[in-house]
Amino acid sequence: MSESTMMSQVRRTFSLLNQRACSSSCSRSSSSFFTDSDSAGLVLQSHSTDVYQNLALEDWIDANVDLQGRGVLLLWRNRPAVVIGRHQNPWTECNLPAMRRAGIPLARRRSGGGTVFHDLGNLNLTFFASKKAYDRQRNLKVVTDALRRLRPGLDVQATDRFDILLNGRYKISGTASRLSRKSSYHHCTLLHSADRSTLSSVLRPSCPGIQSNATPSVPSPVANLLDHAPSLQWEELLGALVQQYNTEFDLHSALTVIDPTNESMFPGVGEMEVELRSWDWTFGKTPKFTMETQLELTNEQPPACCSARLQMEVKNGRIESCHLDIPVDWLPVRLSGELSSVLIGERFCPHRAAAAFSALMRSESGATHTRLHRLCDAILTVMG
Amino acid sequence: MAACWLLRSLSSNFSTVLPLLARSASLSPLQLASKPYFGRTLASSSRLSAALKFTDKHEWIRVEDGIGTVGISSFAQEALGDVVYCGLPEVGTQLAQQDEFGALESVKAASELYSPLTGEVVEVNTLLADNPGLVNKSCYKDGKYTHKRHSAVRGGYSDICMRHFRLMQELKQN
Repeated sequence: MSESTMMSQVRRTFSLLNQRACSSSCSRSSSSFFTDSDSAGLVLQSHSTDVYQNLALEDWIDANVDLQGRGVLLLWRNRPAVVIGRHQNPWTECNLPAMRRAGIPLARRRSGGGTVFHDLGNLNLTFFASKKAYDRQRNLKVVTDALRRLRPGLDVQATDRFDILLNGRYKISGTASRLSRKSSYHHCTLLHSADRSTLSSVLRPSCPGIQSNATPSVPSPVANLLDHAPSLQWEELLGALVQQYNTEFDLHSALTVIDPTNESMFPGVGEMEVELRSWDWTFGKTPKFTMETQLELTNEQPPACCSARLQMEVKNGRIESCHLDIPVDWLPVRLSGELSSVLIGERFCPHRAAAAFSALMRSESGATHTRLHRLCDAILTVMG
Repeated sequence: MAACWLLRSLSSNFSTVLPLLARSASLSPLQLASKPYFGRTLASSSRLSAALKFTDKHEWIRVEDGIGTVGISSFAQEALGDVVYCGLPEVGTQLAQQDEFGALESVKAASELYSPLTGEVVEVNTLLADNPGLVNKSCYKDGKYTHKRHSAVRGGYSDICMRHFRLMQELKQN
């Protein structure tokens, strides 16, 4: 089948599956489509390696495709990115300064679960189904069965936490899911050949002293499939997964590569991408938290050292309250008060805080200026 | 099992919504008085209906004094598994029926909460933020959602009932 024939079949499938777009006049043609076994499932692979475009595509499929009685499998991978769960706190889950330095973006997904590092050596699989057909263990069985077919000696098992472990120890796959009004999706990672040293350096907290009820990650030792099955090629892995999905769900779907930025095929997907990239979504959706920490402040002339206590409440990613307890002989109360109040309403972000501080610092000079500068630097450091 | 609430609201659509929601309350051993005192509302009774009514999304609603209390059913919390996170709206939020107003997270599954009522949130169960497990342990009492406020009443009830709602609204506004 030519690419354009496949694309028009996918387009036709989407428009028939699209509950919203389909007016009642469409339904007479869909009845014959239902009898075609290929319409019972779709296997797609995203052409994009942009985490926001791929997450937007998931949102689009979840919102627009009628999943009653049919499923969709989406395969995708991203250029390096950290992805946090819906209700997580990025400041406790990942090393934001290290990510900034390395140009690794942060994305918040809509499903629950913990923080993961994605790169081109990690395969993501999303199983879309109706809520009735939601069955994570069955989906994970597709993965473990496919791996065992490829390499019969491989010890891979799904756990009751929906992780997949290699040799009973190393996590090669983590799972998360989202339940919407009528539909569901379950996605999981699969570590083929990810960069493990970058993974461990970015999955560390940025900020000390944070208390919140955000969902925490459960850290696990990980391994790459390639380390334990050195001849396992990426394409071979994908092929086996598609075949096993078809076997498990009694389908005959060919893998179709799609462009998730195609507005004519996925109308509205661009807007979903914009929302996922926004600060308000990524950081602003962090459940409220308090941060409390000691700042060590030193002086050279005269040599002196003191501790200050910093406490902040952050809601929707913005500083709602800020208290600074500094010995009065180190910095006048007036100044520590001004410093606190200038942060109120600002994003919990070192760049924004630095901009807020600079105006304050301009009006001071001499020793006071130096101490103020030290204090500001200490605060910026603990803000990630 | 004690009842766990999520939110309370004054609703603008109790009249259209509640008659449709009267599914069997077989899940709840805590069945409050189910007789709505429509005929006697102006005179004395301050309770329109204290029965738990269930939506097809497994939320329950109890209406008392013109305020609706929303929670999730035993069936729903069992299906979810251990709730590890509960996100609820702010007091004052205006919600339309079917609006997404919050979220629950159980073992790695994020599930949206949809408003069964139209109205304004007047109270939120703040215990749940720190103790999301209450949703599982006592889904009919301490795990309730928030109350919502009526902003208008539409047909479906008797005239007496409508006057009761408006009276309660006026009383609350004073």
